[in-house]
Amino acid sequence: MIGFASPKGERLPEGAPRRAPSLVAWLILSPLLIWLLLFVVAPTAMLTLVSFAERDSLGRIIWNFNLQNYVRAFDWVWIKILLESVYYAFLTTVICMALGYPTAYFIGRAPERWRGILLMLVMVPFWTSFLIRTYAWINILSKEGLLNSLLISSGLLEEPVAMLYSPFAIVLGLVYNFLPFMILPIYTSVEKLDNAMIEAAYDLGAGPVRAFSKVIIPLTRPGIAAGAMLVFVPSIAMFAITTLMGGGSNPTIGEVIFKQFTSGRNQPFGAALGTLLLIVFIIALWLTHSQRERED
Amino acid sequence: MKTKKLVLSTVTAFAFLGFASAAPTKNLNIYCWSEYIPQNIIDQFSKETGVKVSVENYASNEEMLSKLAAGGGDYDLIQPSEYVIEALVKDKFLHPLDHAKLSNLKNIAPQFLNMPFDPDNKFSIPYMAGTVGIVVNTDLVKDEVRSFADVFKPENKGKIVVLDDAREIVTWALLSQGLGINQVTDKNLKQIKPILQQWIPLIKVYDSDSPKTALLNGDASIGVVWGGEGAILLNKNKKFRWVMPSEGAHLFIDSLAIPKTAKNVDNAEAFMNFILRPEISKQISEEFPYLNPNLAARKLMTQKQLDNAASFPSDDEIKKMQIFKDIGTKGSDIEELITTLKAQ
Repeated sequence: MIGFASPKGERLPEGAPRRAPSLVAWLILSPLLIWLLLFVVAPTAMLTLVSFAERDSLGRIIWNFNLQNYVRAFDWVWIKILLESVYYAFLTTVICMALGYPTAYFIGRAPERWRGILLMLVMVPFWTSFLIRTYAWINILSKEGLLNSLLISSGLLEEPVAMLYSPFAIVLGLVYNFLPFMILPIYTSVEKLDNAMIEAAYDLGAGPVRAFSKVIIPLTRPGIAAGAMLVFVPSIAMFAITTLMGGGSNPTIGEVIFKQFTSGRNQPFGAALGTLLLIVFIIALWLTHSQRERED
Repeated sequence: MKTKKLVLSTVTAFAFLGFASAAPTKNLNIYCWSEYIPQNIIDQFSKETGVKVSVENYASNEEMLSKLAAGGGDYDLIQPSEYVIEALVKDKFLHPLDHAKLSNLKNIAPQFLNMPFDPDNKFSIPYMAGTVGIVVNTDLVKDEVRSFADVFKPENKGKIVVLDDAREIVTWALLSQGLGINQVTDKNLKQIKPILQQWIPLIKVYDSDSPKTALLNGDASIGVVWGGEGAILLNKNKKFRWVMPSEGAHLFIDSLAIPKTAKNVDNAEAFMNFILRPEISKQISEEFPYLNPNLAARKLMTQKQLDNAASFPSDDEIKKMQIFKDIGTKGSDIEELITTLKAQ
């Protein structure tokens, strides 16, 4: 949260006059603040509090505070599952970037009258629930599904191949769902790209590769960072896609937490795992942030 | 918790503001499983009685239980399975039923009444029953399949779909060792761990919501699924065969009950009696072909429906089935056991 800093996010110089925000400013901000308090701060505080509690046989919370949930959470099983989820999320982010950057660049450099239409095409999938789209993928990838029958009737395959219910299907599902979250922020950066900068790079003797890596990439870095975060963070905890398309034989951290909250009737333990996941996110955000500070 | 209550009451207050002017006097709030009570049945009840019915769904017993135990929701009718009724009765969450208003309860077969989890049906009436068994795609699996041991063998690696339910999977392993399905003790879990260690790597798909999908799509050729799902597969294609595992199986009885906090007890009882009518119960069976406990409804059903082995196991088979008891805090442990083995 940059708050009242200048629009470009630059720091005010030391000793610059700072005005206390007026009452009107607070009033304008209040919906956001109330939103944050109710739906971010309060639930997070609840989650953390519950993670230190116990539960009875019906799953009701008993407020006896201790560390036993964390002792249990630091078992290799849960850490392994967490690392695997991070790995899938990382892979998803890298693939989304490889596919999303050229797409966003193309849209951002397209003639202006085309941009609106192209952007809308990126957003079209959001018009349908992601669950319905995931079920559609199940129909495409299954053994007697569209893709297999197409490949067989065209003579490319003789026997159907198992594509669904595999790590491949998990990553495909995640990339498909999160790709727009990579394209949109990068597009915003690309659109703002100053042509004069690129021309200057060429004038000063840079080849296309050098112009791209030394000028274009650094100028669009805010978009890349935002896109990476928007894809990476939700991919870790996503469990609907991974269970539906992966078949549930590779448990993910989101699924494990969900099951402790429901059939395990153990909210405190689920909350402890959730809190650990939150700490991973905070570390990831802090790393990107400090990286950016160093570059500035 | 206080914040949560504050938020809830604010939301409810707004909801009341919105509806107060137009609120009809007759309401019924049902909290039931998703895909279990056909919408058309609810519409018929509304049309007949003028009661405005609102429905909320859950996907697992525990989801309902946690909401009820936390004091949330204003529900008049819930749809718990047998072991949850046991827990809810024990903790005094249910409203006793007025049997004078449930004249159609006589339609239910005696073998589903007066069960240990609710003696004399003081708090619940059966909605649908069923079991979990084996479905085989005989085009793809040629070997004879009689038991769980026949399902979980190395030749079937990568072909198996099972319910995504730790308690179920543990139950099958307990049965395979001749242990009672409710003896979920540390010692027994230790004993079945090596069995599960062999079984779990063989499984391709875990799906509780629609295990039939993987079998229909050809991604799995053998599965351990709900009776109702098996029945649909048998109706769809002759290549599917239903097998009651020789090691034994369990009987589940999904019921209807009224929470103590209910505001519209009369309407809830009227709905129960409505569901118990033969012609209504028959319609439910057409959409969800589980083991219908309603004898009068079975008289209205076709021979084909009654002959479906996945819907209607024989009386001998039913007699041998065991019923789940509530295992309380052990649920978290078996969840951990199965997750550990999956993550290997």
